[in-house]
Amino acid sequence: MTVTALERLYAGDHAGALSLLDTMSPLDALDAEALVARGVVQLANHRPAMALPSLRAAVALGETTPATLLNLALAELQAGDADRAFRLMEELQRRLPEWYEPPLRLAEAFRTAGRMQEAEQAYGRVLEINPRCEPALLGLAGLLIMRGDCATARDLLLRCCGIAPQRADAWDTLGLALRGTAEASLAESAFAKAQELAPQVLAFALHRVAAARAAGTEETLLAWLDVATHKDPLNAVLITSRGLLLEQLGRREEAADALEAAVALAPEAPLPIYVLGEVLARSNRLDDAEAALRRANELDPDNLELRNTRATVLFRMHRHAEARSELLALLDRHGEHVNALCNLANATTCLGLQDEGAAAARRAIELAPDALLPRRTLCSTLTYRDGVTGAELLAALRDCSDRLPREHPPRFANTPDPDRPLVVGLLSGSLRVHPVGWLTVAAFETLDPASYSIVCLAQNAANDWIARRFRALARDWHDVDALSDPALAAKARALGIDILIDLGGYGDAGRMTACAHRMAPVQVKWVGMQNHSSGLAEMDWIITDRWETPPELEHLYSERVLRLPDGYVCYSAPPYAPDVAPLPAVANGHVTFGCFNNLAKVTPRVIATWSGIMGRLPGSRLVMKAHQFADGSTRERILGCFAAHGIAASRIELRGPSRHRTFIGQYNDIDIVLDPFPYSGGLTTCEALWMGVPTVALAGEIFASRHSVSHLSNAGLDDWVAPDVASYADLAVTKASDIAALATLRSGLRARVKASPLCDAPRFGRNLGKALRAAWRDWCSRTTQDAGLEMADGSLVPGQNHGRQRR
Amino acid sequence: MEQLRVTADVGTLTARISALLAANRLGAARQLLSAVRRLAPPSPVVAQLAARLAAGEGYLQQALDELDDAVAQFPDHAGLRLYRADLRQRTDDKLGALADAAEAVILDRSDPAAKALLGVMLLEHHRPEDALVCLAEAVAAAPTNPFYCQGLAAAQEANGSSDAALATLNAGIALVPSWVDLRNAAILLCVSRRDFVTACALAEEARVAGIADACSFGLMGHALSSLGRHAEAANAYAEALKLGPEDPYVRHLVTAAGILPGAPRAPAEYLRAVFDGYAERFESHLISLGYRIPGLIRTVLARHPVIAGGGCLGPALDLGCGTGFVAVALSDLPVAPLVGVDLSPRMLEAAAEKQRYAELHEADLMNFLTEDERRWQLILAADVLIYFGALTELLTIAHARLEPAGWLVFSLEELLPGAPGSVPDNGDWALQCQGRYAHNMGYVAASARNAGFAIRKLERQTVRFEGEAPVAGFLVVLERGAG
Repeated sequence: MTVTALERLYAGDHAGALSLLDTMSPLDALDAEALVARGVVQLANHRPAMALPSLRAAVALGETTPATLLNLALAELQAGDADRAFRLMEELQRRLPEWYEPPLRLAEAFRTAGRMQEAEQAYGRVLEINPRCEPALLGLAGLLIMRGDCATARDLLLRCCGIAPQRADAWDTLGLALRGTAEASLAESAFAKAQELAPQVLAFALHRVAAARAAGTEETLLAWLDVATHKDPLNAVLITSRGLLLEQLGRREEAADALEAAVALAPEAPLPIYVLGEVLARSNRLDDAEAALRRANELDPDNLELRNTRATVLFRMHRHAEARSELLALLDRHGEHVNALCNLANATTCLGLQDEGAAAARRAIELAPDALLPRRTLCSTLTYRDGVTGAELLAALRDCSDRLPREHPPRFANTPDPDRPLVVGLLSGSLRVHPVGWLTVAAFETLDPASYSIVCLAQNAANDWIARRFRALARDWHDVDALSDPALAAKARALGIDILIDLGGYGDAGRMTACAHRMAPVQVKWVGMQNHSSGLAEMDWIITDRWETPPELEHLYSERVLRLPDGYVCYSAPPYAPDVAPLPAVANGHVTFGCFNNLAKVTPRVIATWSGIMGRLPGSRLVMKAHQFADGSTRERILGCFAAHGIAASRIELRGPSRHRTFIGQYNDIDIVLDPFPYSGGLTTCEALWMGVPTVALAGEIFASRHSVSHLSNAGLDDWVAPDVASYADLAVTKASDIAALATLRSGLRARVKASPLCDAPRFGRNLGKALRAAWRDWCSRTTQDAGLEMADGSLVPGQNHGRQRR
Repeated sequence: MEQLRVTADVGTLTARISALLAANRLGAARQLLSAVRRLAPPSPVVAQLAARLAAGEGYLQQALDELDDAVAQFPDHAGLRLYRADLRQRTDDKLGALADAAEAVILDRSDPAAKALLGVMLLEHHRPEDALVCLAEAVAAAPTNPFYCQGLAAAQEANGSSDAALATLNAGIALVPSWVDLRNAAILLCVSRRDFVTACALAEEARVAGIADACSFGLMGHALSSLGRHAEAANAYAEALKLGPEDPYVRHLVTAAGILPGAPRAPAEYLRAVFDGYAERFESHLISLGYRIPGLIRTVLARHPVIAGGGCLGPALDLGCGTGFVAVALSDLPVAPLVGVDLSPRMLEAAAEKQRYAELHEADLMNFLTEDERRWQLILAADVLIYFGALTELLTIAHARLEPAGWLVFSLEELLPGAPGSVPDNGDWALQCQGRYAHNMGYVAASARNAGFAIRKLERQTVRFEGEAPVAGFLVVLERGAG
C-alpha cells in the first residue's frame, strides 16, 4: 500500500498519495520501506514535522541509503533543525562525492538560512561536479548579483540560458545581471525573452519596463506595448506594464486608464491595483486611490510600502485618525521606518497632538539625519506647536533647505532691462480651488498684462472654476508633474522666466525644492505653505505686508522682504456664498463662538484659553468645525480636553466636514470667531469676515501666527487683535458682551470687507506689479554692477548670490 | 513566479465599461472593450458600448457604422435605435434621426427617453404641435427629468405659448431646484420676453440658492443692464467671469466695468459671440433703438461727387456689414460692387439673404484689411469702430487700401466728461460699461490727419436712442489725397 502511495506521488498526485497514507494501518509502520514511503509523501505535502518520525525510524531500522538520508536532511531542515540537516548533507557529500544533489540541497538550505558565503561554496561544489546544473547556475548567479558581482553572474547565466533556453527565470536573472553591469539594452532583450517565454508573469514584464527606462528605449517599448495590447487584449500583464510605462513617461491619465483596465480584467492580483492606487493618488483622485489601495491591501496585507502609501492617502483625505492608527499598526508590525514615522508625525499633529507629532519627526531625523523628508516634516509640525519661536523655526527651515540637492548655479541670459515686460512664472500644485487659488487668483487677473505675462508651471492640474481662471489669465500653461527638479528648473530657465513665484513651498505637491537649482534670476515666495520664511538660500524675496512682517521681525526670515502696502493677499470670495444672516446671539440669547480651522492649529493651550473665556461667559457656546471631527474618537478626546477645564460637552458642538457652500454658510450660526494660535486662520479668517463674522486674534512672532492680524487690519478691524494670551481672553469677553455692537458690525461687514483692500483686486494687482518691478530692478542693478565687478576681477557670476547675503 | 490571470466575467466587464464611458475614461473603456469582444459574441449591449466609445473619441461615422451593423442584427432593440437617432442628429442626418426616434418609440412605447428625443427632433423639423405631444408625455412619465422639462418648454414656446413654457420651467425648478440649466432657461425666456424684472428675480433666486453659474450671472448682468442698473450689472458680470473665466463675452464686459485692465479693442471672440447670438433679433432691436447711422450714411453718399455726377461708386467695402443693414439703406444708390466683411457667420447668413453683396467674407476686419490687398473707392464702417479704442492702426491700413480720392465713412460714439467707463489717462478714448468704446473728437481728428487723411466731415450726431435718451456720436467722412 505504501508503495502504491509512493507511485502516486511520483505520478505527481501529492494529495492522492497522502489520502492513501491516511487510510493505512499503523502496522505498516514497522516496515522500513513503508516508513520511507510515508516520510517522502509527507515531505512532498509540506508536512516535514510529520515526515521526520517516519524517516528517523527508517534510518534507525538500518535504511541508510543516500536517498533516504537526503530526505531526512530535508525534513530536518524544513522542520527547523538546520544544523542536523547540514551535518547529514555533509556526511552524504563525503560518502558520495560525485552526487551533486546533496550539495545543491545544502546550498539552497544555506541560502534560505541567510548563510550566503557557505551557499556560494556549496553551489560551486555542485558546478564542479556538474557544470550544466541549471538550479546551481541560477542560484549562484542570484547570490553573486546580490553581492554586486554581476559580471561573473552574467557569465554563469549566459551558460544557463544556453543550456536551458526555455527557462524564463534564467533569462530574467540574466537581465538583472546585465542591469548590474550597466548593459541596459542587453538587459532589456533578456527581460523581453523572459516575458516571451512566460507572458503571464508580471515581474518579468515590469523588469523590462525598468530596463527600457535605463536604456532610453521607453518610446520603442511603448510602441510595442500599444501593438501587443491591441493584439492580445486579454493579457493583463501587457496592459499593466503599459500603464506603468505611461506613468513613468508622465502620461498619467493614460496610465490610469491602462491600469484601470488591467485591474478590471484581473481583479484578484494585488500589484496592478496597488500601482493604480499610486497613480490615482498622484492624480489627486483620492477617493478612487484609497479604494484601490484598500483593495490591494486586502489582497496583500503585509506590504509595508503599500500600507504606508494608503496611510498617506488617508491623510490627504483629511482622515487623520485612520491614517494615524494605520501608521501605528504598521510601525508596530514592521519596526521603525523613516517615511512612516514622518507620516505619523503629520497625522498626529493634525489631530491636535502637536508635541507628539514633533517628537515623531525628531525620531525620524535621528534615524536618518541626512534625509530631507524628516526635516521637512519637522518644519511643518513645528509651525503648529505651542511656543514655537521664529528663530527656532527659521533654524529648522534652514536645516531642511540646506540639504536640498543643488546644481552649479546657472548663468541667466535674461536681459537686465529694468522696464521691459516681464515673464512671471507661477510654480504650484494648487492653482485651483485651494487657499492658494482663493488668495492669489484675483491678483494675477489684475496684474497689468502689458507689463507681465504669466506662465504657469503646474502640478496636479484641475479643471475647477478657479483652475480655469488661472488658465484664462496665463499666457502659457505647462504641466510639470513628470519633471524631476533639475529638469523643471531647466525648463523654467528655457522658458525665459524672469520672476518665479513659488506657490507651493514644502507642501503637498509643492515643488519649491526645484528653486534650489535656481529656476529664474528672481525667485519669490508667496502663498502656498507660506507659514514662515522658506529658509531657502536661493529664495530672494518673500511677499508680505507690514502686519505680517513688521521691521522688528524681519531678521526671522532668510529672504528679503517685499512688503505690499495693504495686505499680502487678495481674497476672491465665492459667488455662491450665502447671504449674511442676522447675529445669532440676538435670537439665541447667548453668544456662540466658532472656530472652523484645521484641528492641527488647536493646541492644548488654545483649548485652555477658550475654556477660560467660556468660564467667564457662562451662557456661551463654541462650535468647532474641522475634517477631523468626522472621527468619533477625536470628538471624544477633544470634548474630554474641554471637560478637564470644566467646560461641559453640552456647550461644545463639534462639526465634521461639509461642502464649501455649507461650510461658509455655517458662519450664520456663529457670532464671533476665536482664532487659534500660534498658527492663525488665513483663508478661514477671510471667509468668516465675508460671512459677517469678526475674529478675535492673537499676534504672534512667526508668519503663520499673523495672518488674521493682516486680514483684520486690512478690513479695518485692528481692534480685534490682542498682543498676548491674557488680552486675547479679555478681548473675547469684552467683544462678546456687547451684542448690539456685534449686530451692527455684522450687518455691514460684507460690504465693508468687499470695499476694503482685502478684496480690492485692481488695487492689489497694481501694488503687486510695483513690488515685482522693484524686485526685478534690484536684480537688474545688481547684475549690471556684478558685470562691472566681473570685468574688474573676473570672479563674480552675475546674480547668483543675492539670497545668501543675509545668512 | 506569480502569474497574472484574467478572472473577470463579461457581465462585470460590460458594466465597468459603461461606468468608464460615463466618467469619460475612454482609454480604459477602449482597452476593456477589446477584451470583451474576445470573450463574448456580438450583442446590442456591446455594440452600444462600442458606438459610445467611438462617439466619445470623436469618430461619429465609426459609431454610426457600429450601430448600423447592430441594428441590422438586432432590429427590435429600441436602445440601439434611440442611440443611433442621437448620433444621426449630431451628424446632421436629421431625417434619419427622426425615423430612428420614431422607431424607438414604436418599439418601446413606455420609454420617456424615446418620446423626449422624438419630441426634440420634431421641434427641429418645425412640427411644434407633434413635438408638444411627445414631450408632454415624456414629462408626464418622468416629471423630474430636467432635459424633458426644458424640451417641453421649448415646444410650448414654439407653439406660441411662452406663458405655458415659463410655467413648465417653473414647475421643473420646483421639482429639481438644483438644476441650474432649468433656471437659466427660465431666465433666458424672461429676457427674450423683455421681462427683465422677472429675469432678475429668477437669477437672484438662483444666486441665493447657491447654484447660479456663469450663465446665470451673465444673464443677470444683461437683465440688470437692460434695466439701467449698470453698477449691479457690473457686479454680476464680475461673478460670471469668476465662474466662466474663459468666456470672452463676459471677460469683455468685465473689462468694460473697469474690473480688469483695459484693452485697446474688443476681442474678436467677444464680437462673434455677441453677434452670433444676436443675429435673429438684431434688426428689430436696432430699429427699436432708433438707429440712425445707415440713413445718415445714405445722405452723405448721395452727395459723393461720383454719384452726384451720375456715375457708379465702387468697388466698395462694408466693414462689419452685419445683417446688411447699410446695404439695404444704400440699395437705391449706384454703389457697386459691394463687398461685406463680418466676424459672425450667422450675421453673414442674414446678409446673404438680402442679395446686395457681390462677396461676403467671414473675417476680423483688421485681418481682412491686412491680408486682402485690393484697393477700394469707398470703405464703410457703420457702428463698427465703436469696438476699437485705439484708431491709429486701423486708419493707417484703411488709408493704404483706398484708391486716390477714396472715402472712408464711419460712425463713432462720443466720449463725454463724466460718462461711466475706464478712461485711460490721455482721455482719447474709453471703454464704456456696455462694452463699446467712446472717442474724443480731437483724438479722432488727429488720428485721421496722422494717417494721411483729409477730413471732409466730422460732425456730432445722435447715433441712436437708449431708452428715451439720445446717444451722442460722430459721423466721419475722410478722404485719401488724390496723389
